[in-house]
Amino acid sequence: MTSIRTFMTDDHRRCDDLFAETELAIAQKNPDAARAAFGHFRSAILAHFDSEEKTLFPTFEAKMGSSLGPTQVMRMEHAQMRSLLDEAVGALESGNADDYFGLAETLLIMMQQHNMKEENILYPMCDEHLSGELPAILERLETELAES
Amino acid sequence: MQALLAFENAPPFAAPLRFFLTAPLFAVLAGLLVAVVGPDIFASRWTPDGLAATHLITLGFMLQIMLGALIQILPVVAGANLARPLGVAVVVNIGLSGGVLLLAGGFHFGWPAVLTAAALLLGLTILLYLAVTLRALSGVPSTSPTIRGLKLALGGLAVVVSLGMLLALGLANGWRLPLVALTDLHAAWGLGGWAGVLLAAMAYVVVPMFQLTAGYPARPSWLFPPLMCSALLLWSLAVLVDWPWLVRFSQLGVASAGLVFAVLTLRLQLKRRRARADATSRYWQLGLAASILALLMLSTAAIFPALAELPGWPLVFGILLVLGGFLSFIIGMLYKIVPFLAWLHLQSATQSKMPAPTMNKILGEPAMQRQMKAYVLALLLLVAAAFRPDWLARPAGLAFAIAAGWLWWNLFSAIRRYRWHSADIAEKLAAKLAAV
Repeated sequence: MTSIRTFMTDDHRRCDDLFAETELAIAQKNPDAARAAFGHFRSAILAHFDSEEKTLFPTFEAKMGSSLGPTQVMRMEHAQMRSLLDEAVGALESGNADDYFGLAETLLIMMQQHNMKEENILYPMCDEHLSGELPAILERLETELAES
Repeated sequence: MQALLAFENAPPFAAPLRFFLTAPLFAVLAGLLVAVVGPDIFASRWTPDGLAATHLITLGFMLQIMLGALIQILPVVAGANLARPLGVAVVVNIGLSGGVLLLAGGFHFGWPAVLTAAALLLGLTILLYLAVTLRALSGVPSTSPTIRGLKLALGGLAVVVSLGMLLALGLANGWRLPLVALTDLHAAWGLGGWAGVLLAAMAYVVVPMFQLTAGYPARPSWLFPPLMCSALLLWSLAVLVDWPWLVRFSQLGVASAGLVFAVLTLRLQLKRRRARADATSRYWQLGLAASILALLMLSTAAIFPALAELPGWPLVFGILLVLGGFLSFIIGMLYKIVPFLAWLHLQSATQSKMPAPTMNKILGEPAMQRQMKAYVLALLLLVAAAFRPDWLARPAGLAFAIAAGWLWWNLFSAIRRYRWHSADIAEKLAAKLAAV
């Protein structure tokens, strides 16, 4: 059966692909395609954050009996990335490629090191501690991510 | 666990920075030494000034940055928090810098007492660093190829430093040692067992991260560090029992392991999903091309040893592997790590009350690209100088000093901008507080 780690890691890769598509469109000097691709990327990653914050983290916290652990740090990093996303939308709207690249670069590294922590540490912990609830959680995550 | 994820537990910015800002100065010094000494330095791989320049680069530049970056990276990739990272950074940075200067001076002037002092100071410094990092790593299970690689690399560091001390003390005191065989072994452990394994362990993390490539395939990435170390152990055994054919066989093993890793990395990067080729990815491509050439030279020389006797061969090999390969990887990574750490610390300073300036406001792409062009030019001149030292030794040394100085200037400017933004953020926060 799929684990939380595999499932959520796959979703990270899907977001990466959408990010790369935006860069490609900008490199090909196609601002409309870039805005569209960035829109897809943004909704995919926001849906990912939401499903973690609404479903995965609370279930994990309830099991561990604390909301002050690693999930708190992950929430804080989500907030940092949300504000970078908003700034990047602004830069794309105003057609400022240089600002956009700066924001995108920062966002990418922030996102990758965040994903690395989740994939190597948090998700394996979730798989370990939530084995009983696994099918139900996966189903909910799948529905939430499919809606995005 | 929680300690691993929280920013508050990251080492202070000053800890890795002090290494990053001192290292390029040693590379400048190496370039200037070549420019001042001129053609004679290219006479063989055994000239005292050649040895001085080599160690200014490998210890002064490479080792500085590798030790500094590890202080930053160990908590993130292995969950190993160093006790008092800033204190360790200060002592190791000073010990290492002093030791390299003594070593280079000892070679240049031919002073045995200075060589002895250098060996002892460097040995003690690395011993301290190893003690601190191994303590942090004790109890950390090897759950990823990166963690396994880091542990093996630190073992490799212990070996290369022991061999280096033996050689320096042997030279200073006139011990009867098989100098040629031991020097080759010392270099092999330094570049293969320490730098090579460490590079691979880091590449598993940063190549997918910076360039959006697929991850390294699991089996080769688990296998590379232990294979490299086994080949080196075999090489050590061969030197001990004095079997030249076994030395060549191990050499072929080391070269093949390195080639597999380099070709795998190149393949991943050619299929990367990012459209943009920034300074980091270009530096990686340069490094991979140069290392592959160097490793092909190493494997052909293992099969046909007479090749290594050709004039210029050992020098070109060394220039390609160390300056073309390792230094390119290191500079490419510095160009991402320094602006990202600056952004991360600024972002935390804003307390989420305002946006922090992004990475390209700390260090802009054009500055990095221009420096890289200067570096490529210096590299080409150095390779050419191995064939025509009478014409090219001095210009090549000077060009290298300029390219290294430019790197220092780029990093220094980034830190200056970081400091300026820090002060600006503190001021704006204070104004906000006062307004409430």
